[in-house]
Amino acid sequence: MVFILGVNFPERNLLKKSLESFFGVGGNTSSRLLARFNIHPTCRVGELANKQVLDLTAVLSDMKIENDLRREVLNDIKRLKETGTYRGRRHALGLPVRGQRTRTQIKTPVRLNRMERRL
Amino acid sequence: MASAWCWSCLSRLRPTTRAFAPTPAATPRITSAPFHSTAVQYANPVKKKSTLVANKYRQGQILKRKKKTKTERARPPAVGERKALRKRIVLSNPNALEIEGMKDLSPETMVDARLRGTVVGLPVATLDRLRAVQAFKPKQGWPIFRRPGTVLRRDTLEMGRLFEKISGDGDALEKGKVVKKIITGSKGSGKTVHLLQAMTMGFLKNWIVITVPDARDLVCGDTAYSPIEGSKPTQYDQPNAVSALLTRTVEANREVLSSLKVSQKHAGLPGLKPTSTLEDLAKLGFQDAALSWKVFQALWAEFNATAAAPGMEKNFEARPPMLVAVDGLAHWMTESAYKASDFTPVHAHDLIFVQHFLSLLKGQSLKNGGMLLYATSTSNNPSSYSLEVGLNQLAARQAGIAPDSEEYPQPENYSKPDSRVLDIFKPDTAKDGLELQTLGGLTRDEARGFLEYFAQSGLLRESVNEEWVGEKWTLSGGGIIGELEKLGRHVRTAAPQPVAQPVAAAN
Repeated sequence: MVFILGVNFPERNLLKKSLESFFGVGGNTSSRLLARFNIHPTCRVGELANKQVLDLTAVLSDMKIENDLRREVLNDIKRLKETGTYRGRRHALGLPVRGQRTRTQIKTPVRLNRMERRL
Repeated sequence: MASAWCWSCLSRLRPTTRAFAPTPAATPRITSAPFHSTAVQYANPVKKKSTLVANKYRQGQILKRKKKTKTERARPPAVGERKALRKRIVLSNPNALEIEGMKDLSPETMVDARLRGTVVGLPVATLDRLRAVQAFKPKQGWPIFRRPGTVLRRDTLEMGRLFEKISGDGDALEKGKVVKKIITGSKGSGKTVHLLQAMTMGFLKNWIVITVPDARDLVCGDTAYSPIEGSKPTQYDQPNAVSALLTRTVEANREVLSSLKVSQKHAGLPGLKPTSTLEDLAKLGFQDAALSWKVFQALWAEFNATAAAPGMEKNFEARPPMLVAVDGLAHWMTESAYKASDFTPVHAHDLIFVQHFLSLLKGQSLKNGGMLLYATSTSNNPSSYSLEVGLNQLAARQAGIAPDSEEYPQPENYSKPDSRVLDIFKPDTAKDGLELQTLGGLTRDEARGFLEYFAQSGLLRESVNEEWVGEKWTLSGGGIIGELEKLGRHVRTAAPQPVAQPVAAAN
């Protein structure tokens, strides 16, 4: 098990996938992170040297990911609501925000858009 | 509502005797109503009672699903098992017939022109070594024969003669020559097996054999890489790949390496004594991957040593020639899957290990002589326009077209060729220039020998005669050996006898 940013990853896991398990780290970010530390794309977590683990953790802890990012998104929605914008209202009503039709196919906004947006 | 009968009275009612009860046989059952004309047997089947359970009061209808029963699944195969199965190489088939009088490839047979077109077996002693350098590929047709063998075609015999010359068995002038060849040819023309034949000959002649069984392995981003500090432009080292190559080399060349002693001074390699053999030196590299590149460089210097360093002459022995075989050259002519720290792709030529093998194509690269065989592949081949142009230029020069003539192939305008790739194919001033060898089809005679091998192994139940061979030779695109093999291994059942059809009278 290898500790990266407070999370324990099994050694057999792909490093790229493991990085992508953080909220806010997707395919592009993880590829760039690997390139930055000269880690090959198919590297397993167990193959990392200690220094590489520390480097990755240091960079990840500087990035806005996980709860910081969630809080930012929620604050943005909250701000929209408080300023009384149409987008804010749509978020609160659980309806699509970006002008989609509402006659059919709005399952996702109904599920996700609410006062405290689910992330 | 209360019943008019008392419950206790009902229970005391005596059942009527059977005699009085109407017997079912006595009273005919009315099977159909008299006013119906349809018999009961034609009536619609009675509908089953609906299984919907009556819901309780004010309870909505709930979709009740059966719970999925957990079925015992077979355990997934262990780590690496599937890959091992995929890469498994079977070299023998006990069901195939043994061919009597089949000769082995040997220093004598590999130059014997009388054996042209016959299939010779690979010597049993070299099989393990060939496996070690990964000369066999999983999808080749080895598992259908009793023992692995290859056909002696014209190119093989020519190569055999080259091996003889470079080893110094024939003309002393040719000893220590370096032959550099790029091997191309259409799909199934036997490029990889040509390399395998070269490796076998190398082992038979006690050469040092170094192989890169798949060039893609070095550039597909599957092994670790690290930048070399101070290099400009940045070059990259691949410790694990180098370590794997050292392992292969030691495994296959143990005999030669253990007989040669270290003859140069190598800084930065702890544990190396003046009495160490080259095997010991190579082992340092695969015990510690971080050292592998340094060890490889040291080992390469040893292979190319023509004289010992001062003070170390005591144990010096002349180094044998070297065979370097690379399969799938096109992978090294594009950008690799690795990324630099600024996320730009790393060119394959910036990988120092790849660059090492490519640099051998220039100048007098093997000091003790030897052969460089770099084969292209057609089944696993990234498109590289620059390589195509380079090979065309090489072919043109070989055909006698001067590089400054108009007919000399040039990259098309606006095509942005890769100048680093084209540089490899520029005319070389050294006398051992780069050659292009294009493998074509077998001749009819060779094809006959090859197909007879199938017949003798019990795979082919046809009489192999001139006409039949001619047909198969044409069908295989002019003797392309991969296609011939497909025709040879195709098990045939007896064709049904054509039945004479009556000729239609009308029309």
